[in-house]
Amino acid sequence: MTLEIVRLYHDLLGTYGDQGNAEVLIHRAKARNIDVNLTEVTPGMPVPRSGDIYLLGGGEDGPQFAALEMLKADGGLNYAAAGGATVLAICAGFQIIGDSLPDSNGNKTSGLGLVGAHTIYDASPRSVGELVIQPSRGGLPRLTGFENHQGLTLLGNEMSALGRVLSGVGNGFNQQEGVWHGNVFGTYMHGPALARNPELADAVLQCAAGPLRPFEDPFANALAFERRSTLAGN
Amino acid sequence: MTRSLRLSAACKAGEIAGRLSVKLGRGRGETLSGRVILAIDPNAIAKLSENRDIVIVSGTNGKTTSTKNLAEILRNFAGEGVSTSQSGANMPAGIASLLAQKPRNRFAVIECDEMYLPDMYQKLSPKVIVLLNLSRDQLHRTGEVRKVSNLWNQAFTKDDVTFVIDRDDPFLEFAVANAGHVIRVSFNGRRHPDAATCPSCAAILDWSTGDYLCKCGLGSKLPDIRADRRLSGPQRNAALVIEAARLMGAEILANEATKLIDESPDRIHEFVISGKKVPTHLAKNPESWRQALSDVKADQVVLSVNARGIDGRDTSWLWDIDYSALLGKKVICTGERRLDVAYRLSVQGIDTEVAGSFQEAVAAFIEAPIQAIASYTAYQDLLALELGLTTGAGESK
Repeated sequence: MTLEIVRLYHDLLGTYGDQGNAEVLIHRAKARNIDVNLTEVTPGMPVPRSGDIYLLGGGEDGPQFAALEMLKADGGLNYAAAGGATVLAICAGFQIIGDSLPDSNGNKTSGLGLVGAHTIYDASPRSVGELVIQPSRGGLPRLTGFENHQGLTLLGNEMSALGRVLSGVGNGFNQQEGVWHGNVFGTYMHGPALARNPELADAVLQCAAGPLRPFEDPFANALAFERRSTLAGN
Repeated sequence: MTRSLRLSAACKAGEIAGRLSVKLGRGRGETLSGRVILAIDPNAIAKLSENRDIVIVSGTNGKTTSTKNLAEILRNFAGEGVSTSQSGANMPAGIASLLAQKPRNRFAVIECDEMYLPDMYQKLSPKVIVLLNLSRDQLHRTGEVRKVSNLWNQAFTKDDVTFVIDRDDPFLEFAVANAGHVIRVSFNGRRHPDAATCPSCAAILDWSTGDYLCKCGLGSKLPDIRADRRLSGPQRNAALVIEAARLMGAEILANEATKLIDESPDRIHEFVISGKKVPTHLAKNPESWRQALSDVKADQVVLSVNARGIDGRDTSWLWDIDYSALLGKKVICTGERRLDVAYRLSVQGIDTEVAGSFQEAVAAFIEAPIQAIASYTAYQDLLALELGLTTGAGESK
């Protein structure tokens, strides 16, 4: 089996080192002898409908809406997600996959609706800083990341968060951070969230590739440990 | 009278504070001196810039080097004193301090932080502003590139200033869209890694030709000057500096310009650690790391990364860089965020180790050529060590 990873509009949605997530997934998949094929979708290219994992990164307002309009018009991501494909959406990408979000002028516009979530912009200062969360599923340990976003995201009642906020802002409602619904993951832990959290990387991989054999990656483990212990007191 | 009395009291108090700071071994005293001046006379910057010919240099990368080079050219040309920023003190306090030091110097070349530029543009009444480049930098502090570009676009509306810009950078072209006078220098186009969409209208930019021309018109203005060859980042900055110097009246012949461009150095300093020479690049964002990596010739490389305030507390940008220039070399990562960079390298298949300090990293290498790249505070720590200064808590001097 070849795992098909699709990176969507990296030029538009890649403000914070988000391509790192694809590289970490490929690295961890190859360590398990899983073949991987990475498809870069650029503006104007159709979104493949048969991908296994789709990656959406963070981006500034303008590029975020350019990406959203193209994804709506193309329909490929919605088609694949409806068929059970795995989606990892970071920051602006997380906002895009919800039901609604404000456009550049602050007017409510519809998102892709892959998860039940509404993003609003309020007058509070931008949420910037280290984020620490405790997931309640999948046997995941405490996760850490860096958040930098204006919007706050309210999940629908039928949705579960990726984790509970221990420090930082996250979604900004009910101590929730991100979303984990079926095979769809969303989070405000931007950039290479999977680099800092190898267990989350494996949770995403498992959705698409099934059970994985153990893999010890010394630098990944050391980095995750260092971040978690440095931020533990916050 | 009150006006000038307040200013002279402010400058005197600032001078004393600055000297005290130097005596206590806390650096060169500019920031403290400037803070005292501005506390006593909040209008000091505007007053001190009256009747002077001021050039401001701003942009993401190369501000300090370009400021130094421009001051040097003007000094040679004018044969008189030129006030200029020292050691990158580019916020209002540092600027107030440098203007107060030699108030009779006609010329001042001032490095300005991107976020303070709109304010300094009003207060300094400069003749010329050089905008070098805009790319991702310290996202936690300055926000996104577009935010800076927008801020500048709204601020730059006067027509008594001439801007010198690299027009190949769409963020700069947008920044000066409302400005009266602009000298556009083109280096024959190059894809901007952060400009997938138009800074003005957010449409997707077509870079297939290696240049941009948006349907909203951004990019349609013809360059005033076109470089005749490919130039590196530091060389492009040198070319912009030369145009600014010409606007200030310096006569620079074509062959002199070529020489200045070819010799334009990046910010590199040769540290000597336990007898080993280690030329070290200061690099603080993806663009300056790309530039520094392209200059790595040695087979032994130290990478030192911190994430203190001024470095940017977020290290995500390490993933925006292609490190393939390091493949096959011996690399040791150090600094407070050594694991972030070490893991990034290992995912790209580059062999690396980590060391607890820069000194330990250098000690692990043999006497052969060693090169280093250091983030801002890591570089400053090495400079402080060399000068025998202490930075914050730790051992006494």
